Amino acid sequence: VTGPYAIAIILVAVVLAAWALVLVVINRPPSGAIVVGAAVLELLLVGLLVGGVVQMLRSHHEFARAEFVGYLVACVVIPVLGVGWAVGERSRAGTAVLAVAFLIMPVMIIRVQQVWAGPLV
Amino acid sequence: LSEPVENAPTRSTGHGFGRVLVAVYGLFALSATGRSVVQITTKFHEAPLAYLLSAFAAVVYIVATVSLARGDAKSRRVATIAISIELVGVLTVGAVSEIFGHDFPQATVWTGFGSGYGFVPLVLPFVGLWWLRYTR
Repeated sequence: VTGPYAIAIILVAVVLAAWALVLVVINRPPSGAIVVGAAVLELLLVGLLVGGVVQMLRSHHEFARAEFVGYLVACVVIPVLGVGWAVGERSRAGTAVLAVAFLIMPVMIIRVQQVWAGPLV
Repeated sequence: LSEPVENAPTRSTGHGFGRVLVAVYGLFALSATGRSVVQITTKFHEAPLAYLLSAFAAVVYIVATVSLARGDAKSRRVATIAISIELVGVLTVGAVSEIFGHDFPQATVWTGFGSGYGFVPLVLPFVGLWWLRYTR
C-alpha cells in the first residue's frame, strides 16, 4: 500500500486541492460536493491505515514503526478535523481550510513512504 | 472610561483569513506534538534538552491554535503571548542551530528557522501577530 495505492491517494488529494483552490478564487463556501470528495479521500486514507499496519506486521525490516503508525493515523485525522473546522465557516475561508487540509496530504503520504523506506540519515 | 474598551466588540480571530490561519497553526500543533512524542518516548536520552524544547514548541503551537480559534478578549492576550514566544523561539533556535550546526540535529520544528518545514515556522508568528493587530 505504500506504493501505487499511496500514489493514487496523492493524486486524489491534489485534484481535491485544485478544486478547493478554484472554489476559493471564485469565492464559494465549502460545497456539498467537495465534502463528498473529502469523504472519498478519507475512505482511501482509512484503507491506507489498515493496509499500512497489515504491511508493517508482515514485514521484518528495520524502520521507525511507531512513527509510521503515527503518520498513518495523522493522515486519517487531518481531513476529519479539516472538514469539521471548514464547515463552521460559510465563506471562501472555509473552502481555503479544505484546500490546506488537501494540500498537506501529499506531504504526509511522502513522509509515510520515507519512514517505511527506513531512517533518513 | 477605560473599562468599556475592554468590552468593546473585537473582530474574532477565528473567522475569515483567521480560519485558515488556525488550520495552519493546527497542523503545526499536530506535527510538533507527534514529533516530540516520538522523540521523548523513543530516544529521550540522546538529547534531552533539544527534545524538551521540541515538546515546548508543541505546547506553544497548541496554545496558539486554541486561543486563535476562540478569539475572545482573554484568548487574544493568550494568543499574543504564545505567538510572541513562538517568534522568539524560532529566531533563537534558528540562530543557535545555524551557529552550532552539527551539534544541533533536526531536533525541533524551529531548527534552521524551520527549514525542515519550508520556513513556514519562521513566517507564521509574523502573520499571527499581524492578524491579531489587524482584527483588533
